[in-house]
This record gives sequence, C-alpha cells and structure tokens, in this order.
Amino acid sequence: MHIPDGYLGPQTYAALDAAIIPIWAIAGSRIKKTLKTKQVPLMALAAAFSFVIMMFNVPVIGGSTGHAVGAVLIAILLGPWAACVSVSIALVIQALVFGDGGITAIGANVINMAVIMPFVGFYLYRLVAGDRPGYGRRIAASGIAAYVGIVAASIAAGVEFGLQPLLAHTASGQALYAPYPLSVAVPAMAVEHLLFFGWVEALVTMGIVAVLARQDSALLEMKPAAKPLRWLWAGLAGLILLTPLGVLAQGTAWGEWGAAELRASLGYLPAGLGRIGSLWTSAMPDYAPPFIADPLVGYLVAAVLGSTLVVGVTWLLGRLLARPNEDPKQPGPGPGAA
Amino acid sequence: MIPALAHLGDSTPRRRGGARSLARRTADAIGHAVAEVLENDELASSAGLMQALDPRVKLVSVLAFSVVASFVHSVPMLLALAVATMALAVASNVPIASFAGKVWTSAGFFGLLLSAPAATEWITPGQILISLGPLSITAPGLLIATRLIARVAVGAGFGLLVVWTTRWTDLLRALSAMGVPDLVVATLAMTQKQIMSLLRTVENMHLARESRMLTGGTVRQNRTWVIERMAFVALRSMKTADDIYDAMLARGFSGAMPSLVDLRATARDAAWTAASIAACALALVIDRMVFPV
Repeated sequence: MHIPDGYLGPQTYAALDAAIIPIWAIAGSRIKKTLKTKQVPLMALAAAFSFVIMMFNVPVIGGSTGHAVGAVLIAILLGPWAACVSVSIALVIQALVFGDGGITAIGANVINMAVIMPFVGFYLYRLVAGDRPGYGRRIAASGIAAYVGIVAASIAAGVEFGLQPLLAHTASGQALYAPYPLSVAVPAMAVEHLLFFGWVEALVTMGIVAVLARQDSALLEMKPAAKPLRWLWAGLAGLILLTPLGVLAQGTAWGEWGAAELRASLGYLPAGLGRIGSLWTSAMPDYAPPFIADPLVGYLVAAVLGSTLVVGVTWLLGRLLARPNEDPKQPGPGPGAA
Repeated sequence: MIPALAHLGDSTPRRRGGARSLARRTADAIGHAVAEVLENDELASSAGLMQALDPRVKLVSVLAFSVVASFVHSVPMLLALAVATMALAVASNVPIASFAGKVWTSAGFFGLLLSAPAATEWITPGQILISLGPLSITAPGLLIATRLIARVAVGAGFGLLVVWTTRWTDLLRALSAMGVPDLVVATLAMTQKQIMSLLRTVENMHLARESRMLTGGTVRQNRTWVIERMAFVALRSMKTADDIYDAMLARGFSGAMPSLVDLRATARDAAWTAASIAACALALVIDRMVFPV
C-alpha cells in the first residue's frame, strides 16, 4: 500500500502533505499528555515494531504469504494517537532509509496507514470489545478492527488513485498520473484487501492479541477512547464536506440507471419498470435540491439534509425503543464510558 | 567497513525442488535489508558529488527535483530527468548498474505492472498499435503507461540518491536544522537503531528455526510460529522501551534533547543550489514550451 512518487499529482500530494502537519501536531500534544517523557523510547520502539512486523512473512493459503501493517495492533496497545506517530515514523524511515514509498507521497501514505487505519481500527475495537471484554470477545474485536482498518485504508488509497484522472488530464482526456478512474481504482484496491491482505492483518492482530492476553494482559488494558462521539461527528462533517467530489464523477453507478438512461442504452424502457418507477417522485431527485442552482452547493446541501434526517430518525427510534426504566443520564458499558 | 560475512551467499542445502523454507526466505530478506543499510552508509561516507553537499541543501534540492518531476508531463522531458538521476549517481560514485537495477526493478517493474492495463483499449480507447482483441495496445494508452513508468522511475531515482548518498546521522542533522522538533529527531534516531536491533533478533529467530527443522512444516505450524514470534517482538519492544527510559534517567535525562545542528554550507552548496534552481526552471520551461501536452 506504500504509494511511490509519480502516482499522485501535485494537487493531491500537496493537500495530503499539508494535512498531516496539524495531525502530527495534535498527536504530539496528545501523547505528551498521556505518555509524558517516556514517549521517546516508547514511540521509537513502537515505530521499530511497526517496521519489523512488516518484515515477517505470514503463511496464508498454499504457498502464498503476506505481511501485516500492524497499525491497529499498535493502536490497541498504545492508543490511536501514539499509533499515528509511531507508524508515521516507520513510514518516514521506510521512505528515507529504505526507499520504500515516495518522498512527495509521504502525506498520502501517512494519512492511509498511520491515520485512517489506526483510528478506524481503534474505535471499532472499542465499539465491538466494550469496556471489559472477555478473552474471546477481545480477540474477535481485534480481528474485526484490523480487517476493517486495513480495508478502510486501502479504499482511501483507491480514492486517491481514482481522483487523479479527474484532477489532472490533457486536453484530450489522457490521465497525467495514476490512470485508473474511481470505478476501477477503488474496487481494485478494496478487493485485494477484502480477499487477501485484510485476512492477513486480522489473523496477525488476533494471534498477537491472543498471545499477549495470555502472557501479559496488562498491556491490553482498555485505552481511553476520548469522546468517540465527537470523532464520529467530526468524521461525518468531513464526509459531508467531501460529498461534492461525487459531482466530479461521470455517469451513474452500475445498476442505478434512471428511466431516461435505460431508454438511451437499451433503446426501450421495460414496461414494468416504467410503471413502478413513476409511482413515487422524490423531493430531491439525483441529490439536487430544486431550490439550488449550483450543483456543488446542491450536493452539499443534500448531504447535510440527508444526514440530519438519518440522525434524527435514528435518535427518534432510539427514544421510542429505549426501555422506560432506563436512565439516559446513567453511562452504560460502551466505548464512550471510558 | 562491512564484514565480509555480510556478503556471503546462501550456502544452505536446498529442499527438494530447490525451494527455500519460509524461515530461510524471511531470514535472507531481513539479512539483505540490514546489509543494504550498512552498504548505504558505506556508500554515503565515500567521496562523490552528492556526498559532499550539505545534507540540508541536498534534501531540499532533491525534494525540489521530485516536485518538478511531478509537474513535468512530456515523456522526453521525463526521460531526460531519468538520465539526469543516473548522471548524478555516476558523479556520486554510486555503482550505476546497482542504481539502475534498483530503480527499474522496484519502481519500473511495479509501474509496468500497474500501468499495463491502462495501455489497453479496455481502459484507454484510441488508435490501435498492437491488435490483441479487447486488450489491444492503443497509442494514447501506451503514452499514458510510458509517462507513468517514467515519472515513477524519476521519483524513485531521486529518492534513492538521497538514501544512497546521505548518512542517516547527516539526514537527522538536516531535519533538525530545518526546524523538525528535536523530540521527533531523537525518536527517529532511536527508531532506526531499534529497527536494526529488532531485525537482527528476528533474523536470528528465523535462522534458529531453520537450523532446528528437518522439514518445512505445515502452513498452520508456520503461521502459529510466526505470530508467536511477532508477539514476542511486541513484548520485547515494550520491555526495551522501559529499559531505555530507565537508562536515560540514569544518565541524567531531564526531558531536554541535545541539538544536532552543526552544519555549515559552503560555496559548493551555493553553486549546487543555483544549478538546481536553474535545472528545475529549465526542465519546466522545456516541458511547457518545447513538448506541450
């Protein structure tokens, strides 16, 4: 997943390189609070471990082997911010000492493997494991977290690749950097991680967590997941802000064609589809509010309205389904309670 | 000086069919990585054009070259930059065969694998050059693939020049002088040392297993063994971190990091900076004016 120089255009790598500076600053101040002066050797050893774990060949099926990244494991052991710093250091050393991963692409590699992977993995681990997990639940949670973490990172890399033909091309439409559109790059990256590397990551993380749980369970003490809801809100806001990217993509998602598109491609409209398709007319067809002319702004407003509606309905359902004797102010077991 | 032992080839008897065991392959890969770092350090300490530069100047200029390469779009100009990386390697006494081999096997080979589908009609329709049904090679597809491979090779070449002509301690000095916090530089320095130490531990683990095993073992056995070793490395890392911290305190560590900055730029660095700026500007002008895409 290490992106070399040359695959990402300046718009992408400059934005991602700039994005990691505040992330590193926040990570530095967060780990200073929790790890104090012990941080230097601990970060160094965690980074060295992150590097070395990638050198182990793990037998998977038949004669094939794969290697793990270990970012979720480090997040489980030290917390997500410490994992962010240590995996970042390992990536910088890989680029500057071993020539693995590009110099201009350091920001992209850090965002994928040192930010998205440990944070997604850590919060999912906390969500699945709860506050006081038993042996089996802890191991299952670590496996799920590692699998989803690396798949999320691979999808991010796929999006970065897939944006290149949209962002930089010649007048005749030839891609100047990574040549595959989102429709090819994202599935290509996701599928190999869903089918192979995700399982390697999950297997390694589960195995190490199982050994550590038996030998030194204090290492697996649940790290504080500081206000996970705040991060979920921040993530939601980030995704909403990114929604205008959808307008850049050409065409319609496979299988989601409208009546006009079907008629254009097939030469006719199936009668049943035409009959049922006209039963309901949505308030905002194609995520374009009728009262907004600019498609980018319209897409953004549709994302805000849609998210508000989903959160509102979920909140309402939660209120309706909550047991009448439950005190909503009493914190229950869950990731937010730590 | 690298001990002669580090250069010895694999003399262990092969298993039937010529395949090496997983333990042997991993130990070899790790041994190779460690030897490569030692060789890089030796190369970076030898005389040469880029070795003589102030590491700050070198780091910034190579970063500028990499950025310029990302703005260059014409294939002839990208190829010219690839030739420039090789010329710099020769001027820095870097063995050109090793340099070209490393660049083209890592970046070029993977670039070729990744860009090959883009050369076909399936991804890039256009005038067909070689007819292979749906996988026919098209003229615009070939141009896209060539451009990508050349760009990746240029990026890898410049990156490798930094890696092979700069001692790790000099790189840390450069980062420190460029404003990277001392805490980060100290962590980087310690990480590199610990990487080498852990790599040696992991290599020895694999060699010990190889020497004890009569057969290669089943996939399940090997997987269990590998994961248990990883857990051991994790435990050892945590313990070593505590030991190092205790040793730091015992030596009077108060939280302040000593500064590594003792660099002084010379006239040679000024000349290199001027030449780099001129080369970057020239590359961009030729790319835009002579070979517009």
